[in-house]
Formats: sequence, structure tokens, C-alpha cells
Amino acid sequence: MFGARRFVENLLRQRRLGRLRVDPSTDAELRTAILLRSARVGADSVHEEFVSSLHQRLAAELDETPAPVPLARRKVIVRLGVTAAASAAVGAGLDQVLAPRSTKAPATTTREPVIAAPPPEQELTPDNGVWTTVAAAVDLPEGSAIQFDLGTITGFVSRTDAEVWAVSGICTHLGCRLNLDAPAKMLNCPCHGASFSVTGAVLRHRLKVALSPLPRIQAREIDGAIQVLAPPTSSG
Amino acid sequence: MWTRRDSGERADTPDGERANDPPLLRMVGAEVYPNWEAIYRDNVGWVYRMLYAKVGSRPDAEDLTTEVFLAALRPLRVSASVREVRSYLVSTARTVLADHWRRTLGRELTTLDEDLAELVLDEGHTGRDRLADVERILTELPENYRTVLRQRYLHGNSLKETAAVMGVTVGNAKVLQHRALKAAAKVAERIGG
Repeated sequence: MFGARRFVENLLRQRRLGRLRVDPSTDAELRTAILLRSARVGADSVHEEFVSSLHQRLAAELDETPAPVPLARRKVIVRLGVTAAASAAVGAGLDQVLAPRSTKAPATTTREPVIAAPPPEQELTPDNGVWTTVAAAVDLPEGSAIQFDLGTITGFVSRTDAEVWAVSGICTHLGCRLNLDAPAKMLNCPCHGASFSVTGAVLRHRLKVALSPLPRIQAREIDGAIQVLAPPTSSG
Repeated sequence: MWTRRDSGERADTPDGERANDPPLLRMVGAEVYPNWEAIYRDNVGWVYRMLYAKVGSRPDAEDLTTEVFLAALRPLRVSASVREVRSYLVSTARTVLADHWRRTLGRELTTLDEDLAELVLDEGHTGRDRLADVERILTELPENYRTVLRQRYLHGNSLKETAAVMGVTVGNAKVLQHRALKAAAKVAERIGG
């Protein structure tokens, strides 16, 4: 029951559906939920940012040249290790599947998803959240970040790996407001020098305590706008 | 031959190419791709849409599309025909999707079936008009179920927004949403086949 609701929530928010324990009796509902969600106008358009970033990754893999984007470097190398094995495993089935109308599927592999998920972090989900536009989608190209301040919450939206992210803009140490260092794609704390990535991961700090990643805020791109799920402003 | 898909051809595609898609150059028939980049550019769109229709979540569909091309492109550097390339991509996608569901749910919630694959191979698009399927299901439901599903799934409104539109509490909207999905699933099983 709970797993099915979580599945539907993730689907509606266009998050990764993730590993879930779901009772098989709800499978028909989950399939219907997928049908409903994927029927939304424009829902299945492939994002150009994704197409270019995958193109870049494939170029790196096929030509065996390093990826040109320094920030993505570490992730790409990790991925190569995983995906090379996957390529080999599936490639072994090529002769069989190239035959027309063959129904034989290539060899299967068991492995973790190719794209590394960020480390676990808190999600800031307000009780009465409303989708609030914080930027135009065109102003947020791949790899960029923008600060927003809605009065009730402040934070940063960014587009990384073709996905829109939003994180809180308050340092998880003692609550100072973070500054965006756009070229380095880092959020720096003016108080004690901690740094976070624009997706909220802790990059460095000199503190003696463990530092939590920045809480993630739900974000979406809709009709050319970047929106975050924020508490309503107390104007009335 | 490269074939430009003009607006006349677009009208023929059952699920309708999106107006905001970039103009497509598409290979046809028994032609051979000049290089892997041509394979990628020509096929990434329909592979993504095909997988999106099966998982319903953009980040998942992007992950799976990534897996398909990472796995398929290296072995495909042989001079296979366009049709063979698409056939191979469909096979790879079928495996990648099956792996995905086994990894996440422990069973295959959705599968890439043969008729869909055939459509993709012939037409280069993903065939079924999902919105028409959805409308057929929705018309069989009571009005409040129809509204809550439309608001949440088709319009992308939050529970709060949906509740406001329907004049009910957020709690009510939430309950309605679950019941409506249950009812829709029953209809879908009955008429969908």
C-alpha cells in the first residue's frame, strides 16, 4: 500500500521511481498511473540538454577521450567502469539479436543504475507547498545555477545532467546564507568556509562535526518555467 | 536517402510529433548510417519516448535511454542497416527495461511488446495514441474521479491546487485521487486488453 503511494508520488513529481516494495495486487494501478502520467501533453518530449549530455558521454566512451567538462569528470570515470561491463555483456548477444524479428533478448546484467544518485539528503517539502516560478527555463542552461529568494525560503536552482535541482540556500552548519560561485558551480558559506555543490552535496569544510548535505527542494520545469514547491508567502 | 519529416508527414504519426521537437532528419529503409553519431541522433528521440511510455518518469527514462545507447553503440559500429540498428536498439531497450523493473520492484511491471517494436521499426515512432487511451478510460469514470485524475496527472497540478479547483479539502482530494486511480485501473484492465 505505502510503496504504491510512494511510487505514484514519485511518478507525479517526475522523480526516479526508485527501489520500492510494492504489493503485486496494485500493479494494474501502477500501470494505469504510468499511462496517465505519460499521456500529458509534451510529457514525452526528449530534452535537448539530455540529448547533448548523453552525446558527450557516448563520445567519451566510444572515442576513449576524456570528457571535456571538468566537473563531470569524476562521475564519468566511475560510469565508464560500470558501463564497459554492461556493453560487453550486451554486445555478446549481437549476432542473435541482429537477425530480423528475433525475440531473443541480449544477455542481462545485474548492476546498479548507470547514473549515480546523489548522496541521501533531506527533502524540504512544505505542508501547503505551491509551485512557484523562480526562473525562466531558458535562463537555466545545462550546468548553470540561479539563486532565488521567495521570502519563505531561499535557495538555488540548477540544471545538472539535464535534471532541474533545487536546494536550500542556508548552510547546514549554523544557518548562514550561502553565496553562489557560478564558474566553480559551488555554494560557499561566508561564515566558516564550507562549500556545497549546486545539487547540495558537501564538497569541503574545516569543521570538526559532520555536515549534512543541503536539503533538496522539489523542482520542476513546466511550460518554459522553472518552479519550486515552496510554502505560500504570508501576504494575507 | 535522408528524409526530412515535414509537417505533412507529421500529421500521419498517430501519437503526433511534438511541435517543439527540433526538425528531424530521419533515415529510412535499408540505408546504412555513416557513423555512430548519425545512429544516435536519428534514434535517441523514439528510444526515449518508447521508454518514457513504459516508466512514466523523465529521470528514469533518461537513465534507461543512457543505458541502451551505452550498451548498444559499441557493438553497432558494424555496418548494419537502419532497420537492423533499430531492431537491435529495441532488443536492448527491452532488456534494459526488464532489468530496471527487476532491480526496483523485483518484477516486470511493464514490458516492451512485439507490436510496439514492429511499429517503431516500420514508422520510427512509438505508435499508440496514449491520450486517446486515457480519454477512453476517463469517460467511464464518475465526474469527480475524472477531474482529480485530469488535474493531478494531465495538468500537473498539486493536491492543493486540485483541492481548490474541486472545492474539497486537500485530504479529500488525496483520498479521491487514490480511489480514482483504483477505479481507472479496473476500467483499463477491462477495456485495455
